[in-house]
Amino acid sequence: MDFPFAREAISKLFSKPSCNMYPAVPSEAAPNYRGRIVYHPDKCINCGMCERVCAGGAISRTIEKLDEGDRITMTFNLGSCTFCGHCAGFCSRSAIELTQDYHMIATREEDLLVSGSFIKAAPKKPAPKPGAPAAAPAAEAPACGAEAPAAEISPRDDGKPVNDPSKCVYCTLCAKKCPAGALTVDRAAKTWTLDEDKCVGCGTCAESCPKNAIII
Amino acid sequence: MTILMTALYDLGYILIFPGFLFCFLVGMLLCGIDRKLVARMQKRVGPPILQPMYDFFKLCGKETIVPAAASKTTFMAAPLIGLAALVVIQLFIPVFGFTAFSGVADIIVILYLLLIPAMSSMLGGAASGSPYAGVGLSREMVTVISCELPLVLVLLAVARTVGNAMGTGLCFSLSTIADFQAANGSLILKGSMIPAAIAMLMVIPGETGNHPFDAAEAETEICEGMLAEYSGAPLGVYKLNHAVKMLTLTSLFVALFLGGLGTGILPLDIIIMFLLCVALTAVSISFVHAVTARLKIEQIFKYYWTVVSGLALISLVLAWYGM
Amino acid sequence: MFKKLIEESTGRSPWLFHINAGSCNGCDIELVSVLTPRYDAERLGFKLTGTPRHADIVVVTGPVTKQSLPRVLSAISQVPEPRCIVTMGSCPQSGNVFKGSYSVAGPLSKYVHVDVDVAGCAPKPEAVIDGLALAAKILKEKRGQM
Repeated sequence: MDFPFAREAISKLFSKPSCNMYPAVPSEAAPNYRGRIVYHPDKCINCGMCERVCAGGAISRTIEKLDEGDRITMTFNLGSCTFCGHCAGFCSRSAIELTQDYHMIATREEDLLVSGSFIKAAPKKPAPKPGAPAAAPAAEAPACGAEAPAAEISPRDDGKPVNDPSKCVYCTLCAKKCPAGALTVDRAAKTWTLDEDKCVGCGTCAESCPKNAIII
Repeated sequence: MTILMTALYDLGYILIFPGFLFCFLVGMLLCGIDRKLVARMQKRVGPPILQPMYDFFKLCGKETIVPAAASKTTFMAAPLIGLAALVVIQLFIPVFGFTAFSGVADIIVILYLLLIPAMSSMLGGAASGSPYAGVGLSREMVTVISCELPLVLVLLAVARTVGNAMGTGLCFSLSTIADFQAANGSLILKGSMIPAAIAMLMVIPGETGNHPFDAAEAETEICEGMLAEYSGAPLGVYKLNHAVKMLTLTSLFVALFLGGLGTGILPLDIIIMFLLCVALTAVSISFVHAVTARLKIEQIFKYYWTVVSGLALISLVLAWYGM
Repeated sequence: MFKKLIEESTGRSPWLFHINAGSCNGCDIELVSVLTPRYDAERLGFKLTGTPRHADIVVVTGPVTKQSLPRVLSAISQVPEPRCIVTMGSCPQSGNVFKGSYSVAGPLSKYVHVDVDVAGCAPKPEAVIDGLALAAKILKEKRGQM
């Protein structure tokens, strides 16, 4: 019979304990720790990518029609989050950030919600159209997108992508995803250009488009 | 008048000094010191020393649930029986020169009384009607049987040593043992008594149901065994029983082997006694807790009936031939 | 005064009972790590008990599967009053990635009143200590109201 820890126990009895005295002494999370989500509505473009990649279904989006455009509210439920960081990684505008704050304790479930909202201005194009100002804002969006241009967009026969400018929000995700680097999207100028020589026709851009604006 | 005074004194003994209040305070303190020491040996800060008191008072304020399958009277009375037995033992154990009720009890009575706390927890467990309590009960029974043999051998060895010196063959009276030690020095100084003292140190954690020998109350495998169905105040009394048992056994060790260190002044004696109890708790309970893992029930049985009983037997044989 | 003593003790000696309701073991490990020498919750009086009858705080981890739901509810109902229920991690709060599965019956708040939610997947031990300390405070308040 032997006691391998006997000597250790006695020496530890007279040495300092190795405790983090946590509530008394504050403790920092490690670098790159993924904690409480912070959402910056001013950077968000409402592409919806975060909602799509979220495995836990923690992100919800509500769109409210207003006179000056759509009020978009993003809600992140920390009580449903896996803190995987996918939403932040996929966000093309860095509107989502996972901070080092691990102190997420609530006595009510509502306290675990992080939300933010912003107003996305309605597209400028329909303004000159006759009758548009009189129409309700709800009617404005389809006026530019769904009816007239929908007829123009048709799949190309060579298997290369076509962009629907009425649906496109120029989030640049397709350009980021394109394995051949064939797409150039300029958000400021609102242009979407395809380098046909480089394109391989894989369809990744169509898959990644949060607005389904690209047709193969 | 004298009868009244005697009765008042006796009541004081039972309720205050070696009795209930003393047992409660010192037992809880010993338990707290034990938890603190174990924590420090494991490089932790550990709970405050008063933690067992907080636990006890918290349990007093909790709801008491009596299971539908339980026999209510036995279920509620069992912890109190155990506590009463422990307080009675404490009344008989001498604090060096002082004994509350001397001359009415000896080692044999203490041996019997020591069984009652274990019996009370078995009784309570059986009354609760839980299968976990059933498993715990059978294990507790084996633990008690394992500890009993070495304890009897140790007590016999002490009785023979003192009896030899007094010329009475076997001496079972605790106050005589205390007087003998006061006159001739502590028994642990006798070479033949050292194996018995070591055996007694090993018996202490087994009797109290402390860590390596707590198969009967293994909280991770059989949901605290016999205590599985207890809640609220009766559970608090069981926790108190456990704390008082530590005091009882360590003070029994002091009475058997470390007598003769007293000064004759009672308050000073109590402090010396308490310090010795703390030291014994540290060695025999806390240290063993910190360095060992829980034993299986057959390992406990084997350990007590071979190693510990062997040590006690050596002492007994040496004492029998007057060495 | 005795009542005050009991109330004070209740806040200082919260015993935990841990129920795994289909957890992935991540939160379970973090809960146990709270009791290790590094964090040592015992210095605040926390203790892990083996039976719900001894517990004050019930810590539930996992998304509450259909198989575990009756067991979770029966274990919670065995805990004597005053008691406090803490959900640990995202799973018992919402179902997390398991929500919508045929075998998940959660979230837990559909069935019992949850006192404290500790979010995180898994929460840091510090967050668990904070959550348990808050639960102990709630426990003390509940005792005071009894």
